Amino acid sequence: MASREIAQYPTATRRVLGVATILFVAFYLIWTLLPLLIMFLSSFKDLLDAFQLPATGDWGGAALLFTFEPTTKHYQNLFLDLNFGTYLGNSLIASLGSALVSVVLGSTAAYALSRLDFRGKNDLFFWIISTRMAPVVAVLVPLYAIFRSLDLIGTLPGLILAYTTFNLPFAIWILKGFFDNVPYAIEEAAMCDGSTRLQALRMIMPLVAPGIGAFIVLCVLFGWNDYLFSSIIGSGGAKTLPAATIALVQPQNIQWGSIMAAGAVTTVPMLFLGVLIRRYLVAGLTMGAVRE
Amino acid sequence: MVEVNIQSVWKYYGKTAAVKDLNLKCPENSFLAILGPSGCGKSSTLRMLAGLEHISAGEIFFGAVRVNQLPPKERDIAMVFENYALYPHKTVFENMANPLRLRNVNREEIDKRVRRAAELLQIDMLLDRKPMQLSGGQKQRTAIGRAIVREPKVFLFDEPIAHLDAKLRAHMRGELKHLQRRLETTTIYVTHDQLEAMSMADSIAVMHEGVLQQFGTPSDIYNHPANEWVAGFVGEPPMNFLNCRIEQGTSGVAVVHPSFRLILNDVQRRLLEEKGAEVEVRLGARPDTIAYRPGANSGLDVPAKVYVTEPLGGDMIVEVQLGADRLTVKTKIGPSANLDDPCTIGFDASRVHLFAASNGIAYF
Repeated sequence: MASREIAQYPTATRRVLGVATILFVAFYLIWTLLPLLIMFLSSFKDLLDAFQLPATGDWGGAALLFTFEPTTKHYQNLFLDLNFGTYLGNSLIASLGSALVSVVLGSTAAYALSRLDFRGKNDLFFWIISTRMAPVVAVLVPLYAIFRSLDLIGTLPGLILAYTTFNLPFAIWILKGFFDNVPYAIEEAAMCDGSTRLQALRMIMPLVAPGIGAFIVLCVLFGWNDYLFSSIIGSGGAKTLPAATIALVQPQNIQWGSIMAAGAVTTVPMLFLGVLIRRYLVAGLTMGAVRE
Repeated sequence: MVEVNIQSVWKYYGKTAAVKDLNLKCPENSFLAILGPSGCGKSSTLRMLAGLEHISAGEIFFGAVRVNQLPPKERDIAMVFENYALYPHKTVFENMANPLRLRNVNREEIDKRVRRAAELLQIDMLLDRKPMQLSGGQKQRTAIGRAIVREPKVFLFDEPIAHLDAKLRAHMRGELKHLQRRLETTTIYVTHDQLEAMSMADSIAVMHEGVLQQFGTPSDIYNHPANEWVAGFVGEPPMNFLNCRIEQGTSGVAVVHPSFRLILNDVQRRLLEEKGAEVEVRLGARPDTIAYRPGANSGLDVPAKVYVTEPLGGDMIVEVQLGADRLTVKTKIGPSANLDDPCTIGFDASRVHLFAASNGIAYF
């Protein structure tokens, strides 16, 4: 049972550990959040303000971080001059598209693997996940050759396909676990109630929704954060945000302000996605359905 | 509301036969219990009736309709599962309404029927709860409710009350039987608990290792078991068995044990002759047909020793050592006896059973 109380009693070690934990978490938060904070703030700063740095050891000088004239010129530069609207769109379409294709194909495949027994099932299952074991770089060249002959280079469908190649095995692997956790008896009950096989599957879909939700986030993140595929397979017509951001680093001029703004543009949608999807990640939905 | 007819049905899992050549008939509106220990093929049989598993060979008819190739949806059955199998994300009301929704019953009618069923099962105050918030008994009643909201041709129960506590189980036995009589629907009930089968069913099919051992009324099964296995499985405490010999004596045909001999009556003798009795037999005597008196020379025929006494309030179970054999005797409550105290026991010759030692088939 998830709600069982675990009795703990104070000891000296535990107290020390408690303090250490708080210190560690605080340090970890600063370590991870400070760069993000600097990125957001810098994206609204003029270049001169952005490089106002306090001297080493001058803790009071940290206030300098927050004293600036806000400006949106970097964002204007990105969207009006550098065509970032298109790249943002490409990123959204490629990552969401791949997530959608992966979830449809992945959940059906995972369902079949979870419910049916057939010869060579375990080998098939291992083969599916083994396709993820090769490093991305190793398959990039052959994939490029294939995609070029199919005229998929520089297109969004090509990019979606490339991401799906890597998302799908992962999807099947994860979602199978979720289907395994839903007792088959629930579908049997639905069929006895008068459902068809497909209606019975639809009946249990809410029970695997947490899994699908979690997996969609992972898939979207994979596509969204990808640089390698985007710069090679997407180069030309299907450039996404990370590849476009790299282009802001030019030999004679690193556009720090725009890079920070591009970073913010890349980060914010994923933050919202995280908040949006959180309610699907509530575990324990199947509790009490059947007697274990 | 239909007769269920199982004809020469086999079920194979790979090369293992779980059900072997099963023939059963459940008349319209009657209550059939399939009784047997776990792994005897009873659940496979029920799942074949429901359409959840394929029939390897043979035929099943609901009335005149051969259902072998029909999916569960088209068989018009309602099944209650051992583990309830409720929809965890739906309320009790929605769980019960599901079969009606799937048949496009209109909203008022659904509401009416669900509430009526819920009242019948006394779960009408729980309609808004989710399965997680219910106790075992409430879940089980919800599962039954889901089955009775519509009027299916056949009810299938797969050990529906096996996981309830003893008191609630006893209560539900009565409730289920009452419900079946009231709804007048053909019911097939799978259980490993002989008490459930005996107390609820119109007829019982006893299965063991995939083979139907006996099919008859509860009284048939209890009073005229077809073989030693059925005799030992049905009845609590179980029947006692003793290795004996048949001897032709001056006073008639007798069953002889090292500690006693029983003279058979004419009916029993004729049955023995008809069935061509062997010399080696197994004598069966139910614990409540054996008389017991404490103390040496206390008046009954067979001297024995007390192994242990187990008082049960009104009754008492006495285990008795008789030579190398041990017998269970059920008697009215009396003083406890110590280990190895002498006692006497008596068999009621008209109520014993006799089985062939070789294959366990009953003579009577």
